[in-house]
Amino acid sequence: MLELNGLTRRYGSNLAVADVDLKVEMGAFVGVIGRSGAGKSTLLRMINRLSAPSAGTIRFDGRDVGALKGAALRAWRADCAMIFQQFNLIGRLDVLTNVLMGRLSHASAMRSLLRLWSDVDRAIAFVALEQFDIAHLASERAENLSGGQQQRVAIARALVQEPQIILADEPIASLDPRNTRVVMDALGAINRRYGITVLCNLHSLDLARSYCDRLVGMAAGRVVFDGAPRDLTDDVARALYGIEADDAAGERQAAPEPRSPALARAVAVA
Amino acid sequence: MKGPVPSVRADAVADMARLMAAYPAGFGNRRRAAGLLLLAAAVGLFTGFAMWRLDFSLARILSGLGRLADFSLMMFPPSAGGRFWIYLQSLGETVAIAFLGTLSAALLAFPFSFLAAKNVIPNVFVHFGARRVLDVIRGVDTLIWALLWVSVVGLGPFAGLLAIACSDFGALGKLFSEAIETADRRPVDGVASSGGSRMQQVRFGVLPQVLPVIGGQCLYYFESNTRSATIIGIVGAGGIGVHLAEQIRVLNLQDVSFLVLMILAAVTVIDVVSTRLRTALVGRRAAPLG
Repeated sequence: MLELNGLTRRYGSNLAVADVDLKVEMGAFVGVIGRSGAGKSTLLRMINRLSAPSAGTIRFDGRDVGALKGAALRAWRADCAMIFQQFNLIGRLDVLTNVLMGRLSHASAMRSLLRLWSDVDRAIAFVALEQFDIAHLASERAENLSGGQQQRVAIARALVQEPQIILADEPIASLDPRNTRVVMDALGAINRRYGITVLCNLHSLDLARSYCDRLVGMAAGRVVFDGAPRDLTDDVARALYGIEADDAAGERQAAPEPRSPALARAVAVA
Repeated sequence: MKGPVPSVRADAVADMARLMAAYPAGFGNRRRAAGLLLLAAAVGLFTGFAMWRLDFSLARILSGLGRLADFSLMMFPPSAGGRFWIYLQSLGETVAIAFLGTLSAALLAFPFSFLAAKNVIPNVFVHFGARRVLDVIRGVDTLIWALLWVSVVGLGPFAGLLAIACSDFGALGKLFSEAIETADRRPVDGVASSGGSRMQQVRFGVLPQVLPVIGGQCLYYFESNTRSATIIGIVGAGGIGVHLAEQIRVLNLQDVSFLVLMILAAVTVIDVVSTRLRTALVGRRAAPLG
């Protein structure tokens, strides 16, 4: 179980994450929702220890993750794989090597630096690539792939880490609707098949409702909602997103009322 | 699901034979290992050949070590021998030569480097021509430029300044144009899409990206030129090098070590200042938002 206690991150006088308490059961698919700047990314980055907390503790199965150093810290990072909005692949290297980055903590330093991966590692990478239907792209340069394909490579990289948790930071924010579904389905499949816990930052309430079995709403660095998707009423959503609530829910598609009288006349004439 | 907990590793091991048959190109290290070995062998062979050809001999280094020790002892303690103010003045001259030389080289190279950049000037004749001009100028070493200018404008720091300005025009022009070529195209597209002219695209799309790199290179060249200006001095083009050459010739090694220490101090000061300047130029990144 992942436990956050009073987790806080300050940037100067700015509180990005403020006093967050959270317990995540293993095997869950948790959506972290809220508007941009609510502290969702910082929260995930702190769990992976890419950002250092200003205060508070992170515990995993009772172990204090916040105090890890050196090899133990690297092992923890391999244990909680990260997926980024901008994919963060190595554009100039081929897809297979990018996926094998997920095996770095299992391979010896000499072998990995010379890129002499073991056949088992290679097979693991191919199994992951096949699951997302991109094994035929293994020898392509990562930067030549489309956004949806790159994100699937990134998920494959996360999967071959054999992690306990996957932290996905707005994984679909730069993708089109079809690829959005492909990528979210991939995360869901990993969650079900391997029982890997997924913590996923999302903008869209619709997606969060349909893929997650628990939602955590953040606003101004604080957790303001924590519950099942069906408990997320419109009122709560409005509190989370302010006037953006309708946009985020994607419900009302009506055109906005024209503001200026001249425009209103023009519309009326048309 | 029965049996062991599913994991990618278990999936992979169970399916190994099929995977290896399906993606033969993705497996095996033999070719890569052979390539690496071949490369190591080739480098080793060439190193061996070059050492043999150049009469590399460890024995000669070892037997010479004694003389090196004698030399070092003669350098102690460093002493200006009452000529400290003269030396300091010459050091100032050297720094001035390096500063003005680098500045004029950078001012000349900056506009010229855009001509030599493929992404700014797509016309192959222009950028190819500009490149070759830079090559030719760079092909002549600073020391040769110094000899040349000494015979044109006479002995003194002015010749040194011209020598540095010439040779570094070639070097900086090449470095700048390469920095410009690696610039990201997306900001340029952004400016172009909003109706910016070619000039405005370069000014706002390219320049902000390359300015920190170019600034850093200029600062490094200023520091490096402070060191090479001492060598230029040896051929009579002014600065502290004149004294250095003279004291070495008369084997006044205490003065030599003093002069070396002075140059070292100057270079350190320049390095510290330029590190500050470069940090200011790159600017601090804003804290990431959540």
